[in-house]
Amino acid sequence: MANFRLHGSRVLAVDLDGDAVKAKKGAMVAYDGDMTFKKMTGGGEGLRGLVTRRITGEAMAVMEVKGQGTCYFADRATEITLVRLTGDKLYVEASNLLVTEPALRTGTSFTGLRGASQGNGLFTTTVEGSGQAAIMSDGPAITLRVSGAYPLTVDPGAYIAHSGNLRQQLQSAVGWRTLMGEGSGESFQIRFEGEGLVYIQPSERTTVGGQL
Amino acid sequence: MPFTRINSKMVEARIVPGQRVFSQRGAMLAYRGEVSFTPNITSGQGGVMSMIGRRLANEAAPLMTVEGDGSVMFGHGGHHIHAVDLSGETLYVEADRLLAFDGALRQGTMFMGSQGGVMGVIRGQATGQGLFTTTLQGKGSVAVMAHGGVVELPITPRRPVHVDPQAYVAHRGEVRNKLTTALGWREMVGRGSGEGFQLELSGQGTVYVQASEEKL
Repeated sequence: MANFRLHGSRVLAVDLDGDAVKAKKGAMVAYDGDMTFKKMTGGGEGLRGLVTRRITGEAMAVMEVKGQGTCYFADRATEITLVRLTGDKLYVEASNLLVTEPALRTGTSFTGLRGASQGNGLFTTTVEGSGQAAIMSDGPAITLRVSGAYPLTVDPGAYIAHSGNLRQQLQSAVGWRTLMGEGSGESFQIRFEGEGLVYIQPSERTTVGGQL
Repeated sequence: MPFTRINSKMVEARIVPGQRVFSQRGAMLAYRGEVSFTPNITSGQGGVMSMIGRRLANEAAPLMTVEGDGSVMFGHGGHHIHAVDLSGETLYVEADRLLAFDGALRQGTMFMGSQGGVMGVIRGQATGQGLFTTTLQGKGSVAVMAHGGVVELPITPRRPVHVDPQAYVAHRGEVRNKLTTALGWREMVGRGSGEGFQLELSGQGTVYVQASEEKL
């Protein structure tokens, strides 16, 4: 049973006892004990994963880390958040996923127009099952709860992941000002409705919508 | 003369008359009191011979001598700073990661090839650190820079630690290092896991690892 511990906010220590975790390729910084690293083609989802990920452009360079001891992961000094899943589904960008437990299944799903506005493509990665996953964000991530009476609107560039039963739609506030080049920089937003959690980062990716 | 941590990216050093502190040139942020900063053309201690040694070894980061009476704040490039207190041991660190150190520490350069022979030489090349590294020995403090914070991992004889060469910052104690490769046919066909080279540190001591794979 892999045990996830945070060492500060930027280094994740995973204790392994003969089992394996899936991690972003190249994210190991140190380990003790015996470990082997093996690249998993197609995000470890077999031939079907390989093909879908190629087609969808949601390419995920993943390696399998297996062994006995403690392995430390970090990536470009980004902040790490642990998410515990109990049978629910987490939607996260492939580039924001650091480590997942083997019990979790990963896949791809269609996001529609939202993906295009985020500059992330039309597809996103899903993580399903029971276990822990570590997600990365540029700056410490905050978790916002969405409930029936309180829908949430976020900037597409700051969105990193969401879980629960949420409906999302892209809102645009493009008016004549935007067309004149006097936009506020907040012309596109994603609105979440339903019940669930949304993770956002205190930083914005460069997005198509963010320029307007 | 320990460094006082102000926040994760700034340290303050107390300067008293008669004691010198060496720091990377340009790393002073602010100071109080009467403090003078002298560029140090020999990049550290020793005379001209040490300078030539460092130049040849490419471990000659531009340093300055800080003297006087007061306190100085150091920081550089927004990098995280980790203060290491030495009490007689040797710290091995790359010259460009050194922010400031106590003038009482003995500075030297070490040929990487002397540990591990040919593999040591390859190690320097593979990690992009060159063939030489700087050593600091004695009693005093050292401020080391890293990208994204530092974790200290203990090394004990029964538990060697493997480190990604790009995330390696420094180490101290009686530690032997060796480059291990896990290259197989997968790497050859471009399907590697990105962890083909690792530094194996064994012995007794501590290794400092940064939370990033970026060089400074």
